[in-house]
Amino acid sequence: MVAFRSSESSGRSTGLLLRCVLFSLLALGLMIIDKRYDHLGKIRRVLSIVAYPAQVAVASPFQGWAWLRESLTTREALRADKTKLEDELRVAQFRLQRYEALEAESRRLRALRDSTNGVGSRFIIGDIMDVDLDAFRERVLVDKGARDGVYVGQAVLDAGGVFGQVARVDQLTSEVILISDAAHAIPVQDNRNGLRTVAVGTGDLSRLKLPYISTAADIVKGDLLVTSGLGGGFPAGYPVGTVVEVKRDPAQSLADVAVSPAAALDRSRELLFVWLTPATPTLAATSLSTSSSSSATAVAPTGAATAPAAAAKPTAVAKPSAAAKPTAAAKPSAAAKPSAAAKSSDTAAKSTDTAAAPTATAPTTADQATGDGKP
Amino acid sequence: MMRDERIRRLPVAMSALVALTLGILPLPNALAPFRPDFLVLVVLYWSIESPRAGGLTLAFFAGLALDVIQGVVLGQHALALTLMAAWATNLRLRIRVFSPVSQSLTIFAFLTGYQFILFWIDGATGNPVTSFGRWLAPVIGALIWPFMVRALSRLHEH
Repeated sequence: MVAFRSSESSGRSTGLLLRCVLFSLLALGLMIIDKRYDHLGKIRRVLSIVAYPAQVAVASPFQGWAWLRESLTTREALRADKTKLEDELRVAQFRLQRYEALEAESRRLRALRDSTNGVGSRFIIGDIMDVDLDAFRERVLVDKGARDGVYVGQAVLDAGGVFGQVARVDQLTSEVILISDAAHAIPVQDNRNGLRTVAVGTGDLSRLKLPYISTAADIVKGDLLVTSGLGGGFPAGYPVGTVVEVKRDPAQSLADVAVSPAAALDRSRELLFVWLTPATPTLAATSLSTSSSSSATAVAPTGAATAPAAAAKPTAVAKPSAAAKPTAAAKPSAAAKPSAAAKSSDTAAKSTDTAAAPTATAPTTADQATGDGKP
Repeated sequence: MMRDERIRRLPVAMSALVALTLGILPLPNALAPFRPDFLVLVVLYWSIESPRAGGLTLAFFAGLALDVIQGVVLGQHALALTLMAAWATNLRLRIRVFSPVSQSLTIFAFLTGYQFILFWIDGATGNPVTSFGRWLAPVIGALIWPFMVRALSRLHEH
């Protein structure tokens, strides 16, 4: 501030100082309002519509180039592509036959167990826009926004597995935070033995880490990690990544585990936005403890050491609710679910799109479940 | 008088728009940390060369645009840019007569200050950037400053 005295005329200098202080206070005020209260969501949304043409202008040459390349491919290349896709489709359909039976069984079992672990029910596809947001944060801009019903905290997948979740929703676009972002964490489960933990991003597209694995835990290179569905933000059972390295230092209490993400975080163009369907309408608290405690007893005792919360809850607490619910009653409610869930996810979109919560546990589905369960 | 102002403002708005576009142009991941803060350089140029054409108003709104595009807390870039533009405006008479090397060094100081304010607010709002890559932008920015001045002064003259 000393420097301000050395301007050529004192009149202009005070003018500059005044404006500087004014604009700085304005900026500080904006920051405080934006951070403390969520009143600026609308302003931000309007401003983002102003920014949209610039983003489209930047992205369109790349899209044009992709289109040009696609329209200039030869007949042979197209035929080869077609054969390959047909082969893939055959394999996929073959797998799907089995999968549908399994899914039905899984729904029945979930209904029996009173679990709220959601199942992905409705999808829309969004394209990543060729726009760099911030070099030091792993985020992408996608061309689906509040207009399409996208909401903050929504799970986003690609063909390989979990891609990330929605961090911010504008009218026409939304910002997706990748699972590799240093500020992102996702509840996962080892597919081999059910060991539950949290996978945290590293800021490197090709790496996640598991910071809360004890050195004694049963985890080895090559293990597949899938979403555990705890916390309700992500649908359960989707691949997150494979363990590529486990370093155990006997002097440390926690192991150093590196995970390679299953989704093509650096190559994907199309993303799937998922709407969750809770398996049964039920009281969130009891069912959450049911699911976590029952799986805690099912897995090896090592799981209990690293599992966050709820694991300490005795099974007895959860039992009454599970036992009281007859299978016959659970079934029709599960069948009636999809339409109701679609509605409630829409309302959730409205209520949560101003809340900026790019953390692993989005509260939306838990809230939904309680709302559904009360009547 | 009105017309005069208008003629002076057009290149300012144009250069700011171009800089904003350059700022979101997709780069390969390996190159992204080397991208200089084009918009900051443009704002600094106009603050030094012709503060009445752009000035702090330009700095504030350019910063706000960056906030919206990057999705950070509203006002972060606006505050950093306003402060740095005010500093540059205050020192402009001296900077204009500096040799190219000391001009670049001064710009480096501005850019570092800008990054420092961003860094500080990032930390205060609870999403710190852990990579050291962000301190690369001031270096690159100071290196391309002479070319930037040449390009912008041509625009300014027209």
